Amino acid sequence: MKARARIRLIVIYLGAAIVLAGTVGPFLWLVSSSFQYERQLLNRPPQWLPNPIVLDSYREIFEGAVLGEASGVPYQSRIFLRSFANSFFVAGSVAGIAVLVGAYAAYPLARLTFRGRSVLLFGILASRLIPALSLAIPIVLVAKRIGMSDKIVTLVFINLSFILPYVIWLLQSYFKTIPIELEDAGRIDGCSRLQVVHKIILPLSLPGLTSAGILAFLLTWGEFLFALLLSETPASYTSTVVVSLFATDVDVSFVSIITAGVVSVIPPIGFALIFQRFIISGLLSGSLKG
Amino acid sequence: MHRSKTLFLLLSIMTLLVGGVFAQDDGLKLTGWPYEVDVVTENLGRFTDQSGHDAVFLPFPSNEYHDKMVASFVAGTEFDVAYVRDSYLAEWASAGWILPITGLPGADELLADLPAGIIEQMSYDGEVYGLPYYSGVQTMAYNAAHLEAADVDAPPETWDDMLEQAQMIKDAGVVEYPILMQLRSGENYLLREWETLTASRGGKLFDDDFNPLFHLEGSAAWQALDWLTEGLDAGLIDPASLTDDDGTLLMAAGTTSFMTTTDYTLKAMNDPEQSNAAGSIKNALIPGTDEVRSGTWGYVRLYAITNNAEDKDAAWQLVQFLGGKDATGVYYVPKRWALEFGLGFSPAPLYEDEEVRNSISGWIDPDLLSEQSEYAISRPYRFVPFFSDWEIGSWGPLQAAILGDADKGEVLNELAEEWNELKEDWGY
Amino acid sequence: MLAILFSAPAVLIIAATILAPFCIAVFLSLHNWNLKRPGRERFIGLENYIDWITDSDFWEPLRTTFTFAILAVVLIVLLSLLISLLLNEKFPGRGVLRALLLVPWAIPSVVNALLWKWLLNPQYGLVNAVFFELGIITEYQNVLGSMPSVMIWLVIAYSWIHIPLATLLLLSGLQTIPGDIYESAIVDGANIWGRFRYITLPLLRPMLSIVIIFEMIFALKVFDIIFVLTAGGPADATNVLGWQIYTETFRKLDFGAGSSIAMLLGAITLALAILFYAVLDKGTER
Repeated sequence: MKARARIRLIVIYLGAAIVLAGTVGPFLWLVSSSFQYERQLLNRPPQWLPNPIVLDSYREIFEGAVLGEASGVPYQSRIFLRSFANSFFVAGSVAGIAVLVGAYAAYPLARLTFRGRSVLLFGILASRLIPALSLAIPIVLVAKRIGMSDKIVTLVFINLSFILPYVIWLLQSYFKTIPIELEDAGRIDGCSRLQVVHKIILPLSLPGLTSAGILAFLLTWGEFLFALLLSETPASYTSTVVVSLFATDVDVSFVSIITAGVVSVIPPIGFALIFQRFIISGLLSGSLKG
Repeated sequence: MHRSKTLFLLLSIMTLLVGGVFAQDDGLKLTGWPYEVDVVTENLGRFTDQSGHDAVFLPFPSNEYHDKMVASFVAGTEFDVAYVRDSYLAEWASAGWILPITGLPGADELLADLPAGIIEQMSYDGEVYGLPYYSGVQTMAYNAAHLEAADVDAPPETWDDMLEQAQMIKDAGVVEYPILMQLRSGENYLLREWETLTASRGGKLFDDDFNPLFHLEGSAAWQALDWLTEGLDAGLIDPASLTDDDGTLLMAAGTTSFMTTTDYTLKAMNDPEQSNAAGSIKNALIPGTDEVRSGTWGYVRLYAITNNAEDKDAAWQLVQFLGGKDATGVYYVPKRWALEFGLGFSPAPLYEDEEVRNSISGWIDPDLLSEQSEYAISRPYRFVPFFSDWEIGSWGPLQAAILGDADKGEVLNELAEEWNELKEDWGY
Repeated sequence: MLAILFSAPAVLIIAATILAPFCIAVFLSLHNWNLKRPGRERFIGLENYIDWITDSDFWEPLRTTFTFAILAVVLIVLLSLLISLLLNEKFPGRGVLRALLLVPWAIPSVVNALLWKWLLNPQYGLVNAVFFELGIITEYQNVLGSMPSVMIWLVIAYSWIHIPLATLLLLSGLQTIPGDIYESAIVDGANIWGRFRYITLPLLRPMLSIVIIFEMIFALKVFDIIFVLTAGGPADATNVLGWQIYTETFRKLDFGAGSSIAMLLGAITLALAILFYAVLDKGTER
C-alpha cells in the first residue's frame, strides 16, 4: 500500500507540474520581462532570465504612489497603485453583495416549485446574453441622464448586474446538491424557511459561496470596458484603466505595462488564497452522519 | 459554524473599503490620449495664468480613445476641447460632435500660417474643425546595417529596387523577411499602406470628385496590390504583415530591413533602451517607380471644440493657445512639442526655427523628411462621412486579393461598386 | 410569496441597471439609426433584422463564431475537468496550486493581449522559440497568418484565460461529492475509470452543465482576443459576430445595425442555453 501511495503522489505531482507550466509559465515570462530593458524583450532567441535585473519600472510605480508628483516619475506610474483603492472598493463590494443577494435569489430557484421558475431562471440569464458592447452606450447614456456617471457606486451596480446571473446560476446548482432530507429534518424540528436557509443551506454551501465570491471578485477586478466608459476623471479610474494608459499614441512603455500587469495580479490572487480555504470537501458527508 | 462567520466578516470588510474621493472642478475640460500628461498639465497652467480660465486635462487610453469619446458624445458628457485624429474627423463632424472654427475671431490669421495640405486634413464639408496638435508624413525607415551586410550601397529608389535589395539581404542570410508591410485589418494599417504604395506610383485611390480609380485596369492601386502579392510569394515581404500591429517593434528587433512608417516612430527605433537596432535605422524617401520619384500622405492630430462645451469662447481660447499662439503671440505649445519631444509641427514660422531643426536631427534626417512632405498627396475622399463604412468592408476582400485567395479584378470591382452605392446613398 | 421575497433584491439590481439600456438597444434595433446622419432616424420595424438574416455578412461570421465556440468550449471543459480532478486530490501544496491556477484570469486584459502578442510573434515570439529549441519546428512560423493555425491559436489563447473559471466551478462541484461513496466503491472493486464514470460524472453533472452553458455564452460573445490578435483577419477568417457588432456600433456608428445583430446573437445564445439546460440538466432534479 505504501508503494501505491508513492506512485499516486508521483502521478499527482507530474500532473501538477504540467498544469503549473501551462498556466503559470506564460505569467513567469511576464515577471521576467518586467525586470528587463525594453529592447531585450525583442531578443531572438528570447532573453529568458533578466540580465541585468532592472528594477526601474517597479521603483517608478512604488515611488510614484508614495511621493506623488515630487517623485518625478511619469503620470501613469504615479496614479497606478492609487487606482487600486477604486478597484478594491468595486471588486470587494461586488463580491460581498453578489454572494449575499445571490444566495437568497438562488434558494427558491433550487428548492421551491413555483409558477414562473424557469422564466425567472432564464430571464436572469438572458440579461447576460446580449454582448456588453451593444449595451455599453445605452448604459453610459442612462447613467449620465440620472446623474450617476463618474461615480464608483455606479460601477458596483453595473458589475453586480453582470455577475449576479452567474452567481445565482452557480449557487442554485450548488444548493440542489444538498440532500433534501437535511432540510426536511430541519423543518420537522420547527425551523422556518429562513432559518433553514441560514442554519442548513448556507453553512453547507460554504465551498459554493466561496467560489462565487472569488468568481465575482476576479471578474470585477479585471473589468475594463465599463470602468473606462463610465469614468470622466482620473479620480474614478480603476487599475485596469490605468494599465491601458501606458500606450500613448506616440509611444508605448511595454515594460511598464507588463510590470503593472504583474502587480495587478497580486490582489486577486491574494484574495483567492485567503478565501479558498473555505472550498473544502466533507461538509456534506459529516452532516449526513450527524 | 465559525468558518462561515469569518467568511461573512471578511466580505463585509471588503465591502466597507472606501474608494477614492474626488472633487469636481468647473474649469475647461480637455480630453486626449495620455501622451506626456505632465507636460500638457504644465501647458494648461500657463493658459490659466494668461487667460484666467481654469483648465484640466483628462487622459484616456490611446487605443480606446475613439470609443470612449463616442460614448461620451452620445451621453452628452461636458468635455470642452478634445484631441481628434484626422481619421475620425469626418465622422465626428458629421455627427455634430465637434464644431467648426471657420470665421471665429483670430482663426484666419492662424490658418494663414498653415500649409494648405494640413488645413485640408482638418476640414469637413468646407469648414475647418480645429488647429493642429502634431502632424507629419509617412516616410520609409530602413536598417542601414542590413544593407551594408548585403553589400547594398543606397536605399531603394523604386519598389522594384526594394524587392531586389530584399532578395540580396535574404540571400546574404541577414534576415528572413526583409520587408514589412502593414496590411492588418484596422484603420491604421491596410488602407494606409495601400495609399502609400499607390501614391508613390503616381496614383490615387479616388479622384477629387470621389470617383473610384483603383479598380481600373493597370491603375497604380492595382499595380500596388500586384507588387504586394509578388513580394509575399517570393518570401521577401513578411507574411506577418497581414496580422502584425506594430512594425516598429520588428524594426527595433532588427528582424526587418524596410518598412513605411510614421515619421515619429524613428525616434523609438533609434532609442538604445527600446531598440536592438538603435543607430542603424535611417529614413529615406518612400520609393517610387522609374517615372515617379516618391509619394506619401500626411497625417494630423488636432484640437477641436466639442458641441458640449458650455463656454465656447473660452474653449476657442484654449484651442488657440494649444494649437496656435499664446497670449504673448508666439507658437508656445507647438514649439515645445517639437523642441522637447520631436513631434511634427505645421505652422510655417517653426520651419525656419534653428532650435527646432537641431533638436530632431538626432534621430531623423530633417532635410529628407521635409523633401518627403513635398510629395504628399491630398486625400479628400477620406473626409466624407461614409469612408469608414467602406473601409471596414474592404479589409477582408483586399487581404484575400493580396493573398491570391480571390481574383483581384473581381474584388476591386466589387469594392468600387460598394463605394458608388454608398456615395449615392449619402448624396455625394 | 417567499420566492419573490428572496429573489427580489437580485432581480431589482439586475433590472435597475439592465432594463432601461436593454430597452434602448431594442428600440435602436427597430430604427434606422446612424449617428453620422443626425435628424434622419426613423422607425423601420424589423428591417434591420431582415437585412442581416438575408446577408452573408451575418451567416459567415455566425459560422466562424460557432467554429470558435465549439472548439473553445470542448477544450476548456475537458482541460478544466482534468485539472479540477487533480486538484480535488489531497496532496501537500494543493492550496498554493489552486490559487496559482487563477493567475491567467487575474491578469488585466490589456496585459493578456500584450502577452499573447509576444508569445505568438513570428520573429521574437516565445512559442516559436520554445518549439524551435525543442526541435519541433525548423523555422519560425507565423501562426496567425493563415487558417487553420490562426483559429487554433485563438482558441488556445482564449481557453488559457478561461480555464481557471471553469476549474474553480468544477472544483466546488467536486467538493459536494461525499468521500464515503468512493470508499464503498473501492471496497466493491471499482477501478479509477469506473469510479469516474459511475460516481463522479453523474454527481458532477449539475455543475458540469452550468460550466458548459456559461462557457458557451462567453465563447459566443468572444471579442477581446480577436480585437487584439487578428482584428477579424486574415481575409475575414476570424471575423466573428462579436467583432461584427463592434465595427457596426463603434466604427460605422450604425446603432440600428449594431443593436439588431446583437439581439440576433442574444436570441441564438438563449435558444442554445435553454436547449443545453434541457438536455444536460435532465434527471439532476432531486
